[in-house]
Parts: sequence; C-alpha cells; structure tokens
Amino acid sequence: MTIETSIAEQPPTTTTQRAAVAQLQRRPNARQLAIAVVCLGSTIAAPFLVSNFLIFQMTMVLVYTIAILGLNILTGINGQLSLGHGAFYAAGAYTAAILMDRWGIGYFWTLPAAALVCFVVGFLFGLPALRLEGVYLALATFALAVVTPQLFKLSPFENWTAGVTGITLAKPDAPFGLPLDQDQWLYLFTLAMTIAAYVCAHNLIARRGGRALMAIRDNPIAAQSMGVNTALYKSLAFGISALYTGVAGALGAIVLQFVAPDSFTFSLSIALLVGLVVGGVGWLPGALFGGAFVLFVPNLAESVSKGLSGAVYGLVLITLMYVMPSGVGGLLRATRAFASKRYD
Amino acid sequence: MTALLNVTKLSASYGDFRVLHGIDLTVERGGVTALLGANGAGKTTTLRALCGMIKHSGDVVFDGVDIARCATEDIARLGIAHVPEGRGTFIALTVEENLRCGAMTRKGRASIDDDIERAYHWFPRLKERCGQQAGTLSGGEQQMLAVARALMLRPKLMLLDEPSFGLAPIIVSELFSILRKVNEQEGVGMLIVEQNAALALELARQAFLIETGRILISGSVTEIRDNESIRAAYLGY
Amino acid sequence: MELLIQQLVSGVATGGIYACMALSIVMIYQAIHHLNFAQGEMAMFSTFIAWQLLQWGLPYWIVIPLTVAISFSGGIAIERIVIGPLGEAAVLSHAVVFIGLYAVINSLASFIWDFTTRPFPSPFGAGSQFGNLISNQQIGMIAVTLLVLALLYAFFRYTRVGLAMRAAAENPTSARLAGIRVGLMAALGWGMAAAVGSIAGVLIAPIVFLEPNMMLSILLYGFAGAVLGGLSNPAGAVAGGFAVGVIENLAGTYVPVIGSELKLPIALLLIVIVLVFRPTGLFGRTIVQRV
Repeated sequence: MTIETSIAEQPPTTTTQRAAVAQLQRRPNARQLAIAVVCLGSTIAAPFLVSNFLIFQMTMVLVYTIAILGLNILTGINGQLSLGHGAFYAAGAYTAAILMDRWGIGYFWTLPAAALVCFVVGFLFGLPALRLEGVYLALATFALAVVTPQLFKLSPFENWTAGVTGITLAKPDAPFGLPLDQDQWLYLFTLAMTIAAYVCAHNLIARRGGRALMAIRDNPIAAQSMGVNTALYKSLAFGISALYTGVAGALGAIVLQFVAPDSFTFSLSIALLVGLVVGGVGWLPGALFGGAFVLFVPNLAESVSKGLSGAVYGLVLITLMYVMPSGVGGLLRATRAFASKRYD
Repeated sequence: MTALLNVTKLSASYGDFRVLHGIDLTVERGGVTALLGANGAGKTTTLRALCGMIKHSGDVVFDGVDIARCATEDIARLGIAHVPEGRGTFIALTVEENLRCGAMTRKGRASIDDDIERAYHWFPRLKERCGQQAGTLSGGEQQMLAVARALMLRPKLMLLDEPSFGLAPIIVSELFSILRKVNEQEGVGMLIVEQNAALALELARQAFLIETGRILISGSVTEIRDNESIRAAYLGY
Repeated sequence: MELLIQQLVSGVATGGIYACMALSIVMIYQAIHHLNFAQGEMAMFSTFIAWQLLQWGLPYWIVIPLTVAISFSGGIAIERIVIGPLGEAAVLSHAVVFIGLYAVINSLASFIWDFTTRPFPSPFGAGSQFGNLISNQQIGMIAVTLLVLALLYAFFRYTRVGLAMRAAAENPTSARLAGIRVGLMAALGWGMAAAVGSIAGVLIAPIVFLEPNMMLSILLYGFAGAVLGGLSNPAGAVAGGFAVGVIENLAGTYVPVIGSELKLPIALLLIVIVLVFRPTGLFGRTIVQRV
C-alpha cells in the first residue's frame, strides 16, 4: 500500500511497483468469477426462498452497507474521522420522504435528489472541517449528529417535516407488472443500488483520485508537497461520503416507510461507525459485514438476555476488538498471509 | 572478576525483518566500550534490544543477573541508564523535573537533591535553565539534559546512542570531556554508539565494529586503530 | 440583573461539574491518547453505588470516601482488564471498545437499579444563601469542585507519583528507560479519573436526578469543555468546562429560540465554531509534525 500511496502522481517505475499495480488491476481468474456468480445468484434467489420479514431485514442490511461504504470512503480511505454520519443519513431520508410525501415524486427519482442534496451538504460541511483533525473533527461531526434530530423537530420546518410525528410513506409496487411482491422488489432494487454503489466506490479508489485520498490519509503534508490539492480532495471526500450515506438514508426511508427525528439520534452515527470498524476500516467489502452487524447483533444480544442485552452487545464489541482489531478485513488478510506462508 | 555486561548471540528483528544476527559484546567494569558502524548496521537496535525495547533472543548478563527477558523498566531499575536516540526529553516538563524523572527508581529525597546539585555541577548550563520547559532547550542542551538525567539513576552502566549527533563541535568536545570525567571519577561503565569513530575511540578502551547485524572485528582500541581497513573505512586517515 | 447573576452562578456551578468531567477525560487522554466515551457511564455507576450505600443507611461522610475508593479501584480494574491488553491498537478499535464499555456499564446499571428516575439527596441541604441568589447545593458544588481541582493540581505538581504519571503520559518510551512503570501509571490515571468522575456524579445527581442515562449530556459538555480548552492542557480543560457551563446557561436563558431542547446542540455548535478558528482548542499546543 505504501507504494501506491507514496507515488500518487507518478507512473510505476521499478519491477516491484509494477507488480503491485498489476496485482491491483489484475483481471479476476475463473475461480473468482465462479465464486462471484454463485454469490450473486444466491443473493438474487434469496428473496424467493425466505420469509418477508427476513427479506426486509436483508434489505436493511444492504441499506446500512451503502451507508458504511460512504463512511469508509471518508474515514477508511481518506482518514477523516466522522462520528456524525447519521446526519447525512437523516438528510437523505428526509429528502426522499418530503419529495414523496409533499410533491408526490416517484421513489426512484428521490435517490438522485438525496444524492445531490447530501453531496452539497457534505461538501459544505467538509470546508470548515478542513481545519480540524483527529478528536477535534470527531467532536465537530459528533455535534452534527446531536443537532440533527433537533433540527428536524424545529417549528419553522414543520410544514415539510411534520415535526416530532414524522412522515409515513407508502410502499412502492414492483414496476412493469413484474411478478414480485413489494418486499421482494424493494430487496432487488436495493441490491442493484448496492452493487452499483460498490462498483463506483471500487473504481473511485483504484484510480488517481483514490490514490490522492489515501496519500492524504497517510501523510497529508507529503501529499500536499507532491501537488495534491489537499483541501479540495478532503472536501470532495466529505461530499462523496455524504452522498453515499444520503442515498442509503433515502433507501432506508423507502424501505421503512417512515421517517421521524428520533430515528436519527447520534446512536445511528455510532452504529455506522461500529459497522465500519467491525467490517474493516479501509476495506470496501467490509461494509457488508458491518451492515449485517449493525442490523443483527443488537437483536441477537436481546435474544441472549432481555435485561442485559446492552451488556451482551458491549461484550461482543470488546471481544471482537481483541480477536480481530482490524475487523473482518484484517482477519481475512491475516488468514491469507498465514496460508500463503504455509504453502511457501 | 567477570565483565559488567556480557552479551552472547544477541539477535533481534523488526517484524519479519532480522536486523541482528547473533552479536557478542562485553563491557568491563568501569570500562568504556565503543560500538562502531555505518548507518543501518544495527547499532541502535543493539542498544534497544539490550534494554528490552524490541523482541530479541540471546543471553544478556548484567552484573551477574540475566536480563534477557526483563522488562525495560526493570532493566533500568537494575542500574542501566539508556540515553536514547533523539534524547528522549520530556519536553513539557521543566529541566529540574526531567532530572527528577531520572531518579524515579531511587529513594531518599536528600540524596536525590544532592545529585541534582551534582548534575548542575557537571552541566552548569542546565542550572541556568532549571525552571524552563525542557522542550525550549537547544539540541546541545537537551543532549546534556539526557546525559544528566541518565546519571540521576546512579547507573552502573550507561548506554549512549550517538551523543554527538547534531551537535556543534565545541559542544561535542565539552560533552565528551564530561563523559570521560564521569567514567574516571565515578567508575560508570559505558557502551557508546557512534558514527564519529575517532571521537568514540578517544574515550573507549574496547571497540566492536558492527556491519549488517554482525560483529566484524573486536578488540582493544589500539588494535582497532592499527587495523588498516578500519582506518580507511571509518577513521579516514 | 438578578436573573443574570443567578444564571451566571448556576452556570459556574454546573460548569464545575463539566470541569471535573473534562479533567477526567483529559487525564485518560493524556495517559493513553484516546477519548474515553465510557467516562460518563463510569461516573453514573459510581453515583448509583453512592445512592445504594445511602439507602443502606450509611451517613454521607462515609459514603463519599467509600464511593471514591470503590470508583478508584474500579477504574484501575477496567484499565488492567479491558484497556491495557489492547495496547497499541488503532484509534477506531479503541473507540469501539469504549462504545462496548459504555453499553456494558449502562446495561448493568439499568439491570441492577432499573430505569426509574430517582431523587438523589443533596449532601448540602436544601436552603439557599444571599436572598435566594445561590442555593446551598450550588455553593457546595463550586466549593467541592475547587477543592478537588486544587488537590489534583498539588498532586501532579508536587508529588513524585504525580511527576511519574506526567512523564509516563508525555513520553512512555523515555519513562520506561527511567524505570517508571508506565502501565501502572496508566492504571493509576484511570483510577483517579474514575474517582474524580464519581465526585462529579454525586455532585450533579441532586440536580439532574438519578437514572442510567443521567451522565450522557454531562459527558458531552465535559468533552466540549475538554476540547474547547485543549486536550493537551488540564488547566485549559478545567477553564473550558466552566466556560461551557456558563455559555449553556446564558444561551438557554437569553436566546429565545433555544430553550432546553436546543441547549446542548447550541453549546456544541459554538464550540465547533471556536474550533474552526482555534483548531487545537483555546489553550492547546500545536504539535508540529515532520514528514
């Protein structure tokens, strides 16, 4: 990784560098393709095999996956800590809800609107955040997370937000007369969005811009002195990250059919952060594991002990950080390194 | 009478990368040993391994005690004072507080106060700055503070990592004359790592030459000085 | 005018609590360079212990030292068992462990003592002085806070252990080379932070009432105070805590839209604005980084 990041703006010269770049850009081989096809096939087939409630849960996992992907771009790839991504999620959710509820706009068109709104909000928030680092940025983003639910409760906005009561939405039907029920359709729709979001994120970080983002994370001063426009890239990272999380919020609103200020307290931001760390900071596929963790583990903890569910959840978190401090991604890397050592 | 420090087959690595490949080394009681070598030869790593700051294997016997598996703070408590690379100054503490930190392993307020006076006697410049934050000292003053702090431990052995690094020549000669006096008058043994070989050989009685993690040549200072190849490569005359 | 003075006094009184929390946060931050999100929950748990001891009929002057002692040992235990073994793990892994710790303590407290909001008797009685200008509770809060801060200052400034803790926090490698047991110092720091937090909890409990989530907003104000004053500077953190208390009270009283719901967000926003202009806090040091 150091090779990739330290020469962000130069073509690779030495053989090792070429090898590293080749590895990053190599085409998948037959076995990997087969695995991908099987995974994709089973995820598409899943909604026809399980109960509606489970489909709903799987859809929410995908929604959180997109949100965590966004957080990963900012925190994992660009190294800016955010404890406030729930705010962008909320902004996306409310954009979608208001557009559908007040103006009767189709759910599909609320996604680009939420993307645009959140990109602008994120980019603008990223500007003052340029001056903050580490814990100070953490506090500023955290303030954002705390303010958000209060903002949506404010009386001047009540015409659109409906204050504390929130907005209830209708569930969309499958289009073109497809033989799918609403839950199945929403799941497939969200799955398509997730794949699109993942492919975009992957392409983003494999290119020059992504290398610049990582260079800023690893050594901002060196990156700047090599000609990376640090300020622009950091704000852009904020914008893109907010865009992802905002789209996730919009999808979440459509899936849940309901938005209210108290769905977006700071614990949502914390949950997203936990999902990011559990999946693996800086490792994009980790978002899926993170999303599953965010959705399932609190329920699981509750089923272990109703009274002490918080304690069970907390113990799971602490244990995870001992067993795999770099999340699922780190665990996989370690396993692979161990395996390759044994084969050599 | 055995040596003060006896190192046999010391190996150390950073992660998977092995830096030391079985080093043998001794420091006599009250003696000064120089460890010479180029950049990246493993000099600093040797000192770090001796203090238990990095993973290592091999035998390290100090004053009759096996310290190979001791924690850094316990090694310090046995009487080894390490003046680390980069001086290890507590920049937010005052000069006097830095000295008191050096005496943290000792008991008895009166004797510590005496030793602070003794440190000021060796390094009068520090006395002028005793209430000042140590981070505001110049590089030379910080090096003196580092040596003075190490002396506060009342060590039997001092490990000095490039004490001349980055200092003006006049300050270097001042520092080395103080080190010589400390060695002669108080019998403190020293293991000194230097790139400035000529300087170190003036102070030392024994020298070891290290190259890519192995001891190449060892012997008394006169032997080392007379060795043609060393002269050409490290002493330059 | 009287309203202003009253608000100022009450701002200073709650500010003292924030100052205590800010100081606990800074103590742990200095020792391990991470923000302890579970600080407030630790204080809440201590306050419940104090309440339980009072329920069992022990007098105040035994309950307080006992609570402080229990909290001190609890803090040390948490460091030794949970945090210490984590070692040099990444910032975010630490953050997640703190979140886990938060969940565990919060859940334990609500399991043992349930969610009922309970009144907590004031150790200073219910009266007030200077014609209702300042209540006994407020006087007590300010006095105890100042006493705690003075004691801590003296401890860190004049004792050997205090010096060793400062040295270990500032430069662990160098401290080890001087024979200082850095791990033990970190544990001591956790113990003391927990003890200070327990005092803050007992002092604020008569005002905010006792329940498992009582310390959440107080912790946030404490964070805000610590960051405002600069995490590298304990005295700055204390000043920051007092400042946040005063700002919070005045903003809640005099800015019409705000009211109690928006007090916290506004205080946080103000702090963010300050941070944008002084990125390391009002009294923080800028650390120059080499490439």
